[in-house]
Amino acid sequence: MRQAFSKGFIYILLTIGSLLMLLPFIWMISTSLKTPGEVMSMPPTWIPESWKWDNYLKAWEMAPFLRYTLNSIIVVIVSTIGEIITTILAAYAFSRLQFWGRDIVFAILLGTMMVPGEMLLIPNFVTLSNLGWINQYEALIIPWLASIFSIFLLRQYFLGVPKELHYAAKIDGCSNFRFLWSVMVPLAKPAIVTIALLKAIGSWNAFLWPLIVTQSEEMRTLPVGLTAFTTEAGTNFELLMAASSMIILPMIILYIILQKYIIEGVSKAGLKG
Amino acid sequence: MEIKLTNLAMDFQQTKAVNDLTITIQDGHLVSILGPSGCGKSTTLNMLAGLYKPTAGEIYFGDKLVNQVEPEHREIGMVFQNYALYPHLTVLKNIMFPLKMAKVNKKEAFERATEMAKLVQIDHLLDRKPGQLSGGQQQRVAIARALVKNPKVLLLDEPLSNLDARLRLEMREEIRRIQKEVGITTIFVTHDQEEAMSISDKILLMRDGTLQQYTTPLEMYDKPSNLFVSQFMGNPPINIYKATVNKELKRVELKNSNVHIPLLGNVDVTKFPEDVIVGIRPESFVSETSSKELPQVSISINLIERTGRDTLLSGKIGEQQVRALISSKQQLGNVEELSLYITEFTVFDSETENSIWYFDGEGAQ
Amino acid sequence: MNQKPTLKDTLIGYSYLLPALIILGVFSVYPIIKSFFMSFYADYDFFKDIVHSYGFDNFIYIFQDTEFYKSLTNTFIFVIGVVPASISISLVIAILLNSKIKFGKLFRTIYFLPFVTSVVAIAIVWQWIYHSEYGILNYFLGWFGISPIEWLNDPKWSMPALIIMCIWKSLGYNIILFLAGLQNINPQYYLAAQIDGASKFKRFWHITVPLLSPTTFFVSIVVLINSFKVFDEVFALFNGRPGPGYSAQTIVYYIFEKFYNEWEFGIASAAAFVLFIIIFIFTLIQLYVGKRKVNY
Repeated sequence: MRQAFSKGFIYILLTIGSLLMLLPFIWMISTSLKTPGEVMSMPPTWIPESWKWDNYLKAWEMAPFLRYTLNSIIVVIVSTIGEIITTILAAYAFSRLQFWGRDIVFAILLGTMMVPGEMLLIPNFVTLSNLGWINQYEALIIPWLASIFSIFLLRQYFLGVPKELHYAAKIDGCSNFRFLWSVMVPLAKPAIVTIALLKAIGSWNAFLWPLIVTQSEEMRTLPVGLTAFTTEAGTNFELLMAASSMIILPMIILYIILQKYIIEGVSKAGLKG
Repeated sequence: MEIKLTNLAMDFQQTKAVNDLTITIQDGHLVSILGPSGCGKSTTLNMLAGLYKPTAGEIYFGDKLVNQVEPEHREIGMVFQNYALYPHLTVLKNIMFPLKMAKVNKKEAFERATEMAKLVQIDHLLDRKPGQLSGGQQQRVAIARALVKNPKVLLLDEPLSNLDARLRLEMREEIRRIQKEVGITTIFVTHDQEEAMSISDKILLMRDGTLQQYTTPLEMYDKPSNLFVSQFMGNPPINIYKATVNKELKRVELKNSNVHIPLLGNVDVTKFPEDVIVGIRPESFVSETSSKELPQVSISINLIERTGRDTLLSGKIGEQQVRALISSKQQLGNVEELSLYITEFTVFDSETENSIWYFDGEGAQ
Repeated sequence: MNQKPTLKDTLIGYSYLLPALIILGVFSVYPIIKSFFMSFYADYDFFKDIVHSYGFDNFIYIFQDTEFYKSLTNTFIFVIGVVPASISISLVIAILLNSKIKFGKLFRTIYFLPFVTSVVAIAIVWQWIYHSEYGILNYFLGWFGISPIEWLNDPKWSMPALIIMCIWKSLGYNIILFLAGLQNINPQYYLAAQIDGASKFKRFWHITVPLLSPTTFFVSIVVLINSFKVFDEVFALFNGRPGPGYSAQTIVYYIFEKFYNEWEFGIASAAAFVLFIIIFIFTLIQLYVGKRKVNY
């Protein structure tokens, strides 16, 4: 009896909590489908009287969202693929190869993780403007093609692969490079998927850096474009919510499909990091 | 292929993992490298495989010096303790992997792999992934993968230690069968003396990187070159007693007790040092003897353990602990004192710990 | 393989590292050093990239700048507002989620949702929630007889608005970490304690709490460090301004303002350096305590 009561209590608490978590999303989607009149109606309605799907179209056409989306997709895809490649190579070197200075280089790189990224903003901006890359895809992508955090994660995973596998492959006549791609990478697939997902999410949502290095409208990514859009949309909250949904929903869908990788990755990365 | 090691050595930072090892392994033999953990046996194997480069000395495969030859060009196959199967590949793909690396065409690779799978009796499991196999089956796959290239040498690194007792016995026989069938020179690393005894043509016993003895299993058991070898071989372990040599009476007198054992037969006692160590194997005690004149000791018994075939007696010779293994047919009842003959024993120099004399029932050596 | 690497090994090793090393060298290692020097640029011409003089001027400037103090204070208020609340709420939820309930996965999925959403986009949603006339927050508060609050336009309420949103956003990540910590506790401890006659509460107090303390500590430091770096949330929630009357200006916002709007690279670097020192202190504490607690 007491057991049932306390179980029930837990369910009630968790349900209230999840409603609070979901509320902003529900409110966003609900508002995005309303007419301007209904948006301003008091008391607020949760289910729109008539579903105004064309709010999305209106918002889409009010600002160059197509361009923003293309930019975001290009940045996400190129920087994720690039980072995965540099990460695989570096993690392999740090976990399986022997060479002079390996541990020192690794320690220095790990040390840089202690420095907040915000501190790097200014000198990186100077470097990129010296290279003439400001307001170019290079500025949005190239600084993000490697991540010591990802290297660290994948290295840990690689270290868990028994070294005898490497020996066996060597005896079987398999070169280092071939071993990496035909054995290590397939084995580390879950870790690589996790790293790629976290990277893609981070890259899609990134704001401060793209804000700083883009100047013209056609170089903006979605989050930067969205903040610009707030001035254009003014108080048309149904359009703002439609635009926000367009940024938020793709990642939510990705997350729901692949949440196993994301949540496991976060808990492993978190406790080690 | 005959393998020859001359003055082989391997240093890791401070420690000498392998020190001045010189041996020859005959073509077609199965040789066990035996020793406690950290004795350098795996290091030796890894040098044979080419995974480690020796700090000094030479390794010859046949007439060819292979020190600088990379593992993939040494024509070896290797089986690891944890099998090291590629977890993402099927059994068939695992066995075919070395052939794929050697660019053997697919059809031939498939045929050779299936043939090898038949030899190790896993041809019904070809489509499985290693994770779906039992330990013994994984072991067989690992052997098949090691042999599929038709290597000249097969190296096995503690291949049985991850298996349970019964399976270990079975796989031990399997390895011997396959080795005989293929006729391949095989080197087998183990820390289990019983395993080494049962499977090998010869045993190479190491300790702290140094060769202790390299000979046939029986000889190593009966005629250990030193105290360490005698203690490492055999279970229950050999009984060891400090003793002094009484040269006039031609006998050894065990310390801290009144027991003495005559040195029978043709023996030159004058060359013996004063302090020696006497080693008597538990099974060298017998309660009855047909004819010969054998040394005799009296044992006070504390504990009798019957294990089917044998009976293990624990007790004391004088003040010293003793274990004796006698036939279970012997009716003991509740005896407290028992007189036993000693059929064999070894005398070691207590300073160098090298053996100086073996008594094998006849004396003389 | 366990031996001294040769020159060839070293060349091979670095050829694997090269792509990552170039990127990290240019965009992570070099800027750290550069940033340190930039904070001492007393007179700097960005367009020609010429430094006319070095000195402590930037540090003197920021420590005399009331705006800098204001942003430091705001940041600390923010940290104090977010960290304890976020940690305790997520700890409670994690423990509830860990108590063998049905739909645990579904709940976990929901709580984690904010982590994957764009800060900027969700901040705009919160703008709408906080709307003084039509926002649902004021509407709910109206049920309790509370008159509408000017969340985003009243300097008094801008920090609370920011803090509430950030707690909401940070819960999921912390919950996941706490759950991982809870699952690392060997269930045999609970069985042993149960056999020893410990009640449910006592088991919680004498097993869960001490064994979870390294996780709690770790999560707290992570949240703390992240809170010191808050920016996107401020920018998006207040439409590219640091709150009404600079009431929500944080350190990173200050850096951004000096750097991006005023082109004062040296001052911005000096402020970034101060931020680094603050975060570095907490990182050191984490490493130090982490080392000592690792033996649980």
